[in-house]
Amino acid sequence: MRAMLLESSIRLNTHAAAGVTDVCIRAERLGKVIDGRMVLKDLSFEVARGMIVSVLGANGAGKSTLLKLLATLTSPTSGRLELFGRPPDGARSRARIGLVGHETMLYRDLTALENVMLTARLHGVPEARARALTMLDRLGVAERAGDAVRNLSRGTAQRVAIARALVHGPDLLIADEPFTGLDVGSCGVVERVFSEFRARGGTIVMSGHDVEQALRLGEHVLLLMEGRLASSEASHRIEASNLRKRIGGRE
Amino acid sequence: MSSSTRKLVIRAYWIVTLLVLAVGVWLSAYYAPIESEMGVIQKVFYFHLPAAFCMFGACFLVFVAGAGYLWQRDQRWDDLADAAAHVAVLLASVVLLTGMLWAKKAWGQWWTWSPRLTFSLILWLLYVVYLILRASIDSAQKRAMVCAVYGVIAFLDVPLVYLSVKLMDDIHPSSVELEPSMLLTLIVWMAGVALLTAGLVAGRFRLARISHKKSHDASGVTGGMA
Amino acid sequence: MIALRQILLLLGKDLRIEARTRQALALVLVLGILIVVVLALGLQGGNARGGLSATAILWVAYLFGGAMCFEKTMAVETHDGALAGLLMAPMDRGVIYLSKLLANLVLMATLAIVITPVGVVLFGFDLSRAPLAFASVVGASLIGYAAIGTLFSGLVASSRLSGGLLAVVVFPLSLPLVIASTQLLKGVFEHGNALDASAMGVIVAFDVIFLTVSWIVFELVIEP
Repeated sequence: MRAMLLESSIRLNTHAAAGVTDVCIRAERLGKVIDGRMVLKDLSFEVARGMIVSVLGANGAGKSTLLKLLATLTSPTSGRLELFGRPPDGARSRARIGLVGHETMLYRDLTALENVMLTARLHGVPEARARALTMLDRLGVAERAGDAVRNLSRGTAQRVAIARALVHGPDLLIADEPFTGLDVGSCGVVERVFSEFRARGGTIVMSGHDVEQALRLGEHVLLLMEGRLASSEASHRIEASNLRKRIGGRE
Repeated sequence: MSSSTRKLVIRAYWIVTLLVLAVGVWLSAYYAPIESEMGVIQKVFYFHLPAAFCMFGACFLVFVAGAGYLWQRDQRWDDLADAAAHVAVLLASVVLLTGMLWAKKAWGQWWTWSPRLTFSLILWLLYVVYLILRASIDSAQKRAMVCAVYGVIAFLDVPLVYLSVKLMDDIHPSSVELEPSMLLTLIVWMAGVALLTAGLVAGRFRLARISHKKSHDASGVTGGMA
Repeated sequence: MIALRQILLLLGKDLRIEARTRQALALVLVLGILIVVVLALGLQGGNARGGLSATAILWVAYLFGGAMCFEKTMAVETHDGALAGLLMAPMDRGVIYLSKLLANLVLMATLAIVITPVGVVLFGFDLSRAPLAFASVVGASLIGYAAIGTLFSGLVASSRLSGGLLAVVVFPLSLPLVIASTQLLKGVFEHGNALDASAMGVIVAFDVIFLTVSWIVFELVIEP
């Protein structure tokens, strides 16, 4: 009797756990109005845990606004957003999100290490210094750890920004054009870091312009056109040239 | 309400307002006696006091609309704050100018740093800055937010301003003895200025709503947002 | 407890950046000294010397210097979108407000410590008669001033307003502080009174009201 009870409660637990964690992002008819202009209209989609999703679209299609919404930096005007199975609840949700922005979001007068350590400490990461150094090393910028960010090249600073976004071990990484300004070598490093992150169960939503890269890295592509979701398809079912035409056709 | 009846109501409202004000002017000119100490200048008092009261009302409305905007993020609150602030500045100017007239007669100078004159000057400044702030932000959403905060803070500042000017040396007559005829005149003026204030705020608010609706219809959005 | 640690972390960050660049402090100090000197020169014909005008002139310097502080400490966050990074940290946004407030107070305290002696010397102002009263009046007033200044500097940063506007916004709001503290200092230095409780009450009420309201509102309005 006791064993049976135990068993059923375990099953219930795993069931509940699966329900909570399987879907990382659920968007229902999300809309965003900025200054009377509909920037995003009626976006509905789901992102499963452990996926890499690319958001593509022409300039001004609403990619950055969508990513800001998902990062809970702004709130939707209409519709519903759920992160990790519940509506965003301020600090608790933010603790599980890493953000790589359009800008580097780094303090130019602090060193790379100080920047990453600051984020780690704000998140209450134990042994912040060691953890920050590990992250910088993983992104191949450990030897520049002591340099002020103002002296770093755009590509190096971008890699520091990615280290900063991942230092607290988030479950969801939101990256707005993370590959801009990176040379081929650094692109490889960042792609490898992203794959490792995903392999450990992390979810990535990123925007970009490079169609081949989006198809290669991400399992799923969301195509935005003038604020609407034009298509939401698995990468392996998408023709690169076709996709490029659809993005380019509106530019 | 159809647009033709609405037009009629608005017209009737303004006719009543103007009539009340006209009666007020007539009363203060021919009915109320000339005050012994201040002479004819005392008559500005019938405009001064109601304007001051309504100014507080308008400032309070800016505060309420600001708090409402911060709470609901609805553009309509911001339009209301805008309308109320313009009227508040107008009334504050009236209060300031009639106060200066009084000062000229009572103390022979256009300006003295008496607590009440200082108070009305600071209030006027506070809400003029509100209008300047409005004019210097392009994005409607940011403007609404910044001005809502300023509207709330400025109104909370008013009692502090009042308390601080009370620390200054006072030469102002603290109370004026009112004859019944003077009181009646004052009441009529109070009604007239209150109607005028409400009408101006409502009119300006409606204008803002209409212009918003036009620009929103063009981009496919209607109404405010929750 | 965690919040306190985060506040100190952010304050440390701001002060470290300031120590490295010395942008804000150098500018604010020079501006403060300039204001005192210009006004001293401008008023020399009148009854500037020895009188209470020193406190008025110091007030002008504190106000302008303070506005510059608010602007500079927030400018750190607007470069490279650093504010968005800060907003992503798992903390109440009130933490950001309080850390910026403290950073501003540190800078303004430095400003006051440097330019008050300048004013005292240039105007022959006898501060030694009631140094503690002077310090507590100025200190309490600057806290209230920084409370609204920090709030509006955050707003300026998140709505990309031009900097000059900040002074226009915070000056009229802080006039109760100016009036109350002027009256207080007049009582203390001209008539040798003790600190007037009701005037001090105005300043303290200003501090309490605007610290609370700003702290609440900041959370609602700060955006990257």
